Amino acid sequence: MEFLLIGLQQLADPYVFATMCIGAILGVIVGAIPGAGAAVTISILLPTTFGMEPLNGMTLLLGVYCGAAYGSAIPAIMINTPGSPVAVMTAIEALPFVKRGEARRAMSLAYSSSFVGGVLAVLALMLLTRPLAEIAKNFGSAEFAMLAMAALVLVIVGNAGRRAEATAALAFGLFLATVGVETAYATQRYSFGFSFLLSGIPLVPMVIGLFAMSEALVQLTTREPPAVPVQLKGTFFQGFSEVFRYPKSLFGSSFFGILCGIMPGVGEFLAQQVSYVVARRFSKEGHLFGKGAPEGIIVSEATNNAVPPAALIPMLALGIPGEELTAMMLAVFLVHNVVPGPDLFLNRPEFVAGLYWTLLAMNFVIILFLLLATNTIAKAALINKRFLGIMILTLSLIGTYASNYNFADVGIAMVFAVLGFVLRSHRWPITPILLGLVMGPILEGRIRQALGGANGDMTIFITRPISAVMVAAMALLIIFSVRSSLKARKGAADAR
Amino acid sequence: MQEEGHDANRLESLALILIFTALSLALLATLFVATRHGPASGGWWTRPALAPGVALLVLVLANLMTLARAWADLRATPATPDERAEARRKIAGWLRPLEYLAYFAGYLFAIQHMGYVPSTFLFVMFLLWRTGMTERRWILAGAGFVIGMTLIFRVGLGVWMPAPEFYDAFPDALRIKLIRWF
Repeated sequence: MEFLLIGLQQLADPYVFATMCIGAILGVIVGAIPGAGAAVTISILLPTTFGMEPLNGMTLLLGVYCGAAYGSAIPAIMINTPGSPVAVMTAIEALPFVKRGEARRAMSLAYSSSFVGGVLAVLALMLLTRPLAEIAKNFGSAEFAMLAMAALVLVIVGNAGRRAEATAALAFGLFLATVGVETAYATQRYSFGFSFLLSGIPLVPMVIGLFAMSEALVQLTTREPPAVPVQLKGTFFQGFSEVFRYPKSLFGSSFFGILCGIMPGVGEFLAQQVSYVVARRFSKEGHLFGKGAPEGIIVSEATNNAVPPAALIPMLALGIPGEELTAMMLAVFLVHNVVPGPDLFLNRPEFVAGLYWTLLAMNFVIILFLLLATNTIAKAALINKRFLGIMILTLSLIGTYASNYNFADVGIAMVFAVLGFVLRSHRWPITPILLGLVMGPILEGRIRQALGGANGDMTIFITRPISAVMVAAMALLIIFSVRSSLKARKGAADAR
Repeated sequence: MQEEGHDANRLESLALILIFTALSLALLATLFVATRHGPASGGWWTRPALAPGVALLVLVLANLMTLARAWADLRATPATPDERAEARRKIAGWLRPLEYLAYFAGYLFAIQHMGYVPSTFLFVMFLLWRTGMTERRWILAGAGFVIGMTLIFRVGLGVWMPAPEFYDAFPDALRIKLIRWF
């Protein structure tokens, strides 16, 4: 109880509350702009949060993360272009609503199911993080190493249809993590005599180059006809009662989103896709999915809004980020010397409790903002792509330079911008590069510790029970995904 | 739904995979040059080459697998002349982002010699002109964006930027304000 009261005290801090509101509102706006989105905004904001208190910095970034998940539904419904890939199914399902003249109903359903999914996920965060951290207290280096390995395997498995490319991207990220001075022998690895590489590939310029600048380059070099939005009139309260007519879909997809958020490597996009397919399969009105079924929007939005808060569970409890945005946020922890993991509750209870309450309050702030300002926010969705590209590119300089006041960082960002542009053009996954860079040191450090303790005996990973279970789970996952890939390929070949 | 403008061409993808494979092989080949041994103080698991070696080996294997798949696909369904022409056009398109990055590098250079606000203003205006957005409303929007950015990042968040030398010509009181806000 005291723990929760400390959190409320943190939320009552005007600076924390103001940061939360700014983050949430900014998140909704950028979420509503196709091409901007949470990853671009968080990567640019990341260095500016280093000067803030950890809770303020995290609140701002989480506001953007959660707000963008809500906001992406606006262009998905109004101009049939999802603000980010996580609203793809919403866009598909909303089109028949718009054609029927029920765009307002679709928006209302999206908001209310997003709210339910988001709030349930925060409650799951409050209830599950501490017990998971308590379990993790029994983990040794072997368990943490296999946990990190399992997260990476999930990242690959989650990229169905692009697993070889995802593996390459992940391996490249892991390789990048080894660049710089190596601790055990104090020698250099792949620095090629460049002093700016001695401390490794800097995270912030890499993130800005890969996610923000590459997006700016795509926007600047792509020509798209301007979209025509539908007009919305009236209020959005109707959906709040309507979503509860579909409790199975609403709560089922919320819990599925929470589960996917907890599992590293899954992310909102895959969660939403799988949840939609499963719901269509088990719903009594499954045949109406894709033809303007309220359940389709409910499932899509409840799932993708449940993922962000749930993705914090493994990060806070185990120190393992599950997707690109929590991986970026890990930088805020590291800059402030806040070590996520089992001891976080002991060392920084006020931070964790504050985070819980701000996340919960954030959902109310966002929904209030959406109910009042949807028509105004929708104008942001119509922003000219080239102007957006100019803004992102200009902001990228501030982001890269402000993190370290080093122009070499801007050069590194430019290299990753080209890489990101080429990968985006081919729809190759870029998130595994970031996860590899962030997880690399954790994995290498834990493997070294585990093998050091066992005098180099590799059976340590299968003789300790929890570690052995993780190894078995990974093996099963790999076998299952290889089998399903082969089956799918055979099916495609037969069809030809 | 509106489609994105970038659709992968099989030959373009093959060219890209070839480049990635060559680069990853080159990195792997330099493993023992780029990771030097220190005095032996730990077991095999602490060798500096181990982690990058494993990562690069996986990278090479994954690239080879992608390459083999792309090659097999092209052998099964050879590329049409149209596809070849499109591939040439798309590969030439890889240079397009370099143009904007060259402007960005110029912006970076200008900041050190002209100060943040003037160089940002010029950069934004130049990009507006380059992208054909020369209408008055876009110029005003660009100017507003520069002012907003300066207010948020320089005045509000106090982000520091290198001061150009000509600021030294101003009286101290003004110079400090210029360094801090412009």
